[in-house]
Amino acid sequence: MRREWLIPAAATLVAPVCNVAYAAVYFTTEAAQRAAFPDATAFEEVLIAPEVKLAISRDAGRFTVEPRIWRVRAGERPIGWFMLDEVIGKVELITYGLALDSNGAVKSLEVLAYRESHGDAIRLPAWRAQFIGKRPDDPVRLDSDIRNISGATLSCRHVTEGVHRLLLLYAKALAHA
Amino acid sequence: MPESAHCARRSWLLLGTLVEIAAEAPSQSMLESALLAARAELARIHQSLSGHDAGSELSRVNALAASDPQPISDDLRRVLSCALDIATRSRGVFDPTVGAQVAALGFLPPQAAAPGVASWRDVELSREALRYAKPLVLDLGGIAKGYAVDCAIDALRVNGATAGRVNAGGDLRVFGTRGEPVHVRTGGPQGALFPLVTLVDGAVATSAYGGQRRRRDRRWAAPLIDPRLRLPVLSTRTVSVIASTCMVADALTKVVALLGRGAQGILRAYRADAVVLSPARGRWRCTRLESTMVAGA
Repeated sequence: MRREWLIPAAATLVAPVCNVAYAAVYFTTEAAQRAAFPDATAFEEVLIAPEVKLAISRDAGRFTVEPRIWRVRAGERPIGWFMLDEVIGKVELITYGLALDSNGAVKSLEVLAYRESHGDAIRLPAWRAQFIGKRPDDPVRLDSDIRNISGATLSCRHVTEGVHRLLLLYAKALAHA
Repeated sequence: MPESAHCARRSWLLLGTLVEIAAEAPSQSMLESALLAARAELARIHQSLSGHDAGSELSRVNALAASDPQPISDDLRRVLSCALDIATRSRGVFDPTVGAQVAALGFLPPQAAAPGVASWRDVELSREALRYAKPLVLDLGGIAKGYAVDCAIDALRVNGATAGRVNAGGDLRVFGTRGEPVHVRTGGPQGALFPLVTLVDGAVATSAYGGQRRRRDRRWAAPLIDPRLRLPVLSTRTVSVIASTCMVADALTKVVALLGRGAQGILRAYRADAVVLSPARGRWRCTRLESTMVAGA
């Protein structure tokens, strides 16, 4: 181990009063799509009718941004769906990608970008894995099937709500498409 | 960095926090497998050493070790040996048996054992098994995250990464030949960010107190327990420890938070350095505790 100090040995430091933002992009959309569906040969973007989104917002809250949806194919065969959405963490947007298999069950959830002024905002233990296998008819609510362990913050609540909305969107618009 | 190196960083929600893993490797496929191996290590350690999860190895041992000696995994053995070593050297200022107090404050699920009865001296770790001399609750929350980061770094190395970084909230470790600048974020509602150190092959752990306190029975509680008094400490200090492994750095932040300058002896024993930031009239007072006298050595 080698180290070189950047902080003085003993001093009074004037603190910048503002929160310094933490921002990171982990995956491009294409890389996240490839990681979720390594066998895919095509991602076809589909558009969702405004009436469907309006109906969902009545039940499950409004989308923060326009979610983007792709039908995933391996050759001719449809193998699932990839959804890109954004929710507010504490104050800033978190971009996440949700992969569903062809039956609408959650295959994976990835954080694509995180722009939070608090790097440690997400404090719900192991909660990402809890989404795996969820289906549109599961409640996907904090405090019910997604455990809300003490210390849960807005970030977890909002990603959970986002996943719930996307699963409803699947059920209403994509399941029979 | 050679021109041909492939690098990437990924983030996952693991260990109850946002973990960022970055790595550099000679090929894209090695890079991807190294990142996935590191993630798998973090998930594996979390599964076995989490006190939040009723199905973890730690929860099983806590439930049974007071009545029967329990066989334990290598991971639990390594973490516990280090924890008991630091407990001995600090004369109980670091004590992994504060689980019942932590649970009583609402930072862990409710536990069967009563707080305040046992201490680290009641943990009997033999070559074959682990036994508790009294009912107690082992809480590795102050050290296991650092160990998980060390394991993730090993996984990156073993799988062919030439440089890498794992950052799990307050616990960070880097490897490779380049120096990585590390900043420290202070706790409290008005958290500030300061450049701390440039690090080659080493770990930094920070415990920023003041951010996680909560009101309970009309009193403030924080997850830092003083094991000598068995009471929570309302510290406003932010403590960073720099050491060669993240496990040691993670555990020593608690010792420095409680002992301040009194921790210099134990820091020296582990060849670790510390920085204490404490709020003073709207500013931050910084104190460096160095184990080596030669600056920059």
